[in-house]
Amino acid sequence: MTGTETNPVNPQHKDTRNTGPGRLLIAVYAVFALSATARAGYQIATKFAEAPLAHSLSAFAAVVYIVATISLAKPGRTWFKVSVAAVLTELVGVLVVGAISLFDPVAFPHDTVWSLFGRGYGFVPLVLPILGLLWLNKRRPS
Amino acid sequence: MDGYFYAILIVGLVSTIMCLVAGLMKKAPNDPTIFSVLAVELVLLVYLVGSIVRVAMGEQIAGEAWEFWGYLATALMIPLGAVYWAILERTRWSNFVLAAVGITVLVMGARMNQIWY
Repeated sequence: MTGTETNPVNPQHKDTRNTGPGRLLIAVYAVFALSATARAGYQIATKFAEAPLAHSLSAFAAVVYIVATISLAKPGRTWFKVSVAAVLTELVGVLVVGAISLFDPVAFPHDTVWSLFGRGYGFVPLVLPILGLLWLNKRRPS
Repeated sequence: MDGYFYAILIVGLVSTIMCLVAGLMKKAPNDPTIFSVLAVELVLLVYLVGSIVRVAMGEQIAGEAWEFWGYLATALMIPLGAVYWAILERTRWSNFVLAAVGITVLVMGARMNQIWY
């Protein structure tokens, strides 16, 4: 580490999201990408036929978390747009799936990451996209 | 819950609290916080060796064996990944990344215990 002092507000690196609080956000997204992928893989491998909709949704959520993690870590405008799309999808997903699982538990007996607004994961899935959007807004490319 | 779980519980919580406090004090990751996370890794390595020995001695895992090993393998990557991610940019925020390790591994340890028994 010689002479490479990292400055989080260095204007040269303005078009990035992977600095400061963004690093924590990306780390949490990475954990969710990992656990959602593992969970979806497990569900699809062992009991897909029991609840194809819920388990497809698990797989979809896993893809959303993977895309969000990678795009947040990458610099540039295009990745910024990908991040916005992924985080918005995640927010809509957690709200819609959360509401359906709350009002119609019969139609949705199998758990996904987003069921009951992510209660099984300490509601982190509900808070994460909100923090994500706030961070993306703060680091919007000029 | 067995001894491994309680070891993860204690080491994980101490590590999380140390890293949280350091982050709140606006410190960058330093030896104490990085070593606290490496201590979590060490406990997991002991868990790995201990579990291999137990299975070799003929003990049966009650749940899905591959699920248990999957959790353990994933948990082993988390402290190392977090330390790598944290030292690439040493700001206070990286201490919050390190703080997430102990609590995440703790949740995974609880799940591993459920699978084993």
